[in-house]
Amino acid sequence: MSAKDMASMEVDEDVAAEATSSSQSLAVESTSQAASGIINVVAPTSPLPQPAQSSASSSSLSVVAGGSNSEVVSGDGGTVMASAGTVGSVSVSLHPLVILNISEHWTRQRAQEGKPVQVLGALIGKQTGRHIEIMNSFELSYDELGGHIIINRDYYTVKEEQYKQVFSDMDLLGWYTTGDTPGPPDLLIHKQVCDLLDSPVFLKLNPMARHTDLPVSIFESVLDLVNGAPTMLLVELQYTLATEEAERIGVDHVARMSSHDTQESSLVAENLQAQYSAIKMLASRVRLIAEYVRASQRGEVEFNHEILRQVNALTHRLPVLSSDKFRGEFYNQCNDVALMSYLGTITKCCNTMNRFINRFNLLHERLAMGRRMRGLFF
Amino acid sequence: MNQSQIAQRTWEMANNMESVNAADEIYQYDRKQQQDILQAKPWEKDPHFFKQIKISALALLKMVMHARSGGTLEVMGLMLGKVDGPTMIVMDSFALPVEGTETRVNAQAQAYEYMTGYVEAAKQVGRQENVIGWYHSHPGYGCWLSGIDVSTQMLNQNYQEPFVAIVIDPIRTISSGKVNIGAFRTYPKGYKPPDEGPSEYQTIPLNKIEDFGVHCKQYYSLDISYFKSSLDKKLLDSLWNKYWVNTLSSSSLITNAEYMTRQIFDLSDKLENSETALGRAGLFGLDPQEKKTEDKLSRVTRDSCKTTMEALHGLMAQVVKDRLFNQIPQAQSQAQESAQPSSQAQA
Repeated sequence: MSAKDMASMEVDEDVAAEATSSSQSLAVESTSQAASGIINVVAPTSPLPQPAQSSASSSSLSVVAGGSNSEVVSGDGGTVMASAGTVGSVSVSLHPLVILNISEHWTRQRAQEGKPVQVLGALIGKQTGRHIEIMNSFELSYDELGGHIIINRDYYTVKEEQYKQVFSDMDLLGWYTTGDTPGPPDLLIHKQVCDLLDSPVFLKLNPMARHTDLPVSIFESVLDLVNGAPTMLLVELQYTLATEEAERIGVDHVARMSSHDTQESSLVAENLQAQYSAIKMLASRVRLIAEYVRASQRGEVEFNHEILRQVNALTHRLPVLSSDKFRGEFYNQCNDVALMSYLGTITKCCNTMNRFINRFNLLHERLAMGRRMRGLFF
Repeated sequence: MNQSQIAQRTWEMANNMESVNAADEIYQYDRKQQQDILQAKPWEKDPHFFKQIKISALALLKMVMHARSGGTLEVMGLMLGKVDGPTMIVMDSFALPVEGTETRVNAQAQAYEYMTGYVEAAKQVGRQENVIGWYHSHPGYGCWLSGIDVSTQMLNQNYQEPFVAIVIDPIRTISSGKVNIGAFRTYPKGYKPPDEGPSEYQTIPLNKIEDFGVHCKQYYSLDISYFKSSLDKKLLDSLWNKYWVNTLSSSSLITNAEYMTRQIFDLSDKLENSETALGRAGLFGLDPQEKKTEDKLSRVTRDSCKTTMEALHGLMAQVVKDRLFNQIPQAQSQAQESAQPSSQAQA
């Protein structure tokens, strides 16, 4: 690539974006989105992990784009997100372990470097049909070359081999990083991951997010024609949290670790507490819905028939199960447990009786001994 | 007024910042300090040197998940961490490519190569800590060290100090609704532990109880506490926002049916045992024997109480849910349905 190209691209990023939007009506929406993306990168509203680095890599991106203009023009003009209508092709479920893993990776790097650092890693899990389950993750090492990130392939190979030994049924699914909204530098890394795997997913966690939602978003890439050139764009995927009983208890445990100190509190209270907080959560959601319905009744909110239909459907699901069959099964279960507690009580009773007799004997030790001796003789 | 508010705000901010830093300081690794501790070897003078262990949220979750994935097989892994005075700190854990039964869990040699490779690779991504111990699972029979575990741990404590053993029971974790975990260190050979009070009682199946009894005086357990980073805390809070559904949608009675049955079988075996012992004691009337049988019976009682409690907890949850979702007064619900479709669930 020539130095002249570089310089011109570096300076004229915004101009390029403008030019694209004026020449192509098709890409107007996405380009304007991307332009705002650039603003995000260069002048972040919330503190990015490493503003200096990301702005550096965004300028270095234009280097690459300038060099490989004939090929896939990733982020030429900064187009990153696909237009809003595009829907993802897979459904994703995410295990909390992955989230904690990334969080720990980031915290550790920050503690060791003394400043927030962007971290990078691989996601592994299982894929069945169009459904992806992200179950675990591991860190990746990277080198910075001229300001942009290059994944250390040797390191990846070593790690992959190690993971294959332990989790033989899991495959590489994608990669993760930390930071704000995805920008052109992310696409560059994404392309490197594409060399390892056909269609990787991309998870971004924002450690600086202020709101209470889970600051995790997952994307996949699509190739789209922008400006007549195939461009890689990102599509946000919807994800659900996958849960398994053990994982739930583990998360619960670490989430309320302070309660570990007060072990004196009764088990019943603890158990009921978990139920109570879950129901409280449910109640707050229901209250929100009720509030909404009331508001639309008063005319403060516009009638949204789709939402109202959903609310109606939801309420019609109550009672959830009222068939006789369920009743029977339920009482059966109750009886089983009652029987168990009955047995438990009997055992306890026996024990108490036994102890009583023993103590009684102890009290009348001599008497008992004498009687026993007599019993032996006669 | 206004000024004092500002002052308070700044104080809060400063304070908050400080607490954040303090919480994350533990993630720093001071190589020199650790080397110094390794050189000093304070644990050689006092066999009871380490008293506490701190486990990171991530390490705990990884271990629990790994133990669970093994099902009824024992799994094993190693932990990375450091030492801070009498406290061992576990930062991370990783699974080893070994799984099997009791006899195979000590396949350390097999896993050794994997271990060195892993630690080496971890160092490259900023994980500076060294191996500080190993964990394995005891699916369904409680957290304690068996004879083989004791000898493995003893060997490691001789050559790889500081080293700790952690045992996790994934099945009991689910049945009791909280993580069943224990951290242990062995005493050196020939060391007579001071006669401490009876260790915390736990249920051990009949076929393992002998193994437990023989070795239980050769090690002691450490106090476990957990830590998480400020980011972890935030993420966990928001995770709970999505997680609460699972508390309502799972039933411990169903997930644990098999475990419960096994517990009851075990209980009946134990009861039978104590019954025969009781019969014998009644015949010969020996005092010490009597004491022992009493002990046995009361232990069985405690076990049965625990099992019953767990079952009752499961049922309690079921009843609550039944009440919440199924028993809606018909008339009321119809009246409300037309007016406020969703408020009925609040009732």
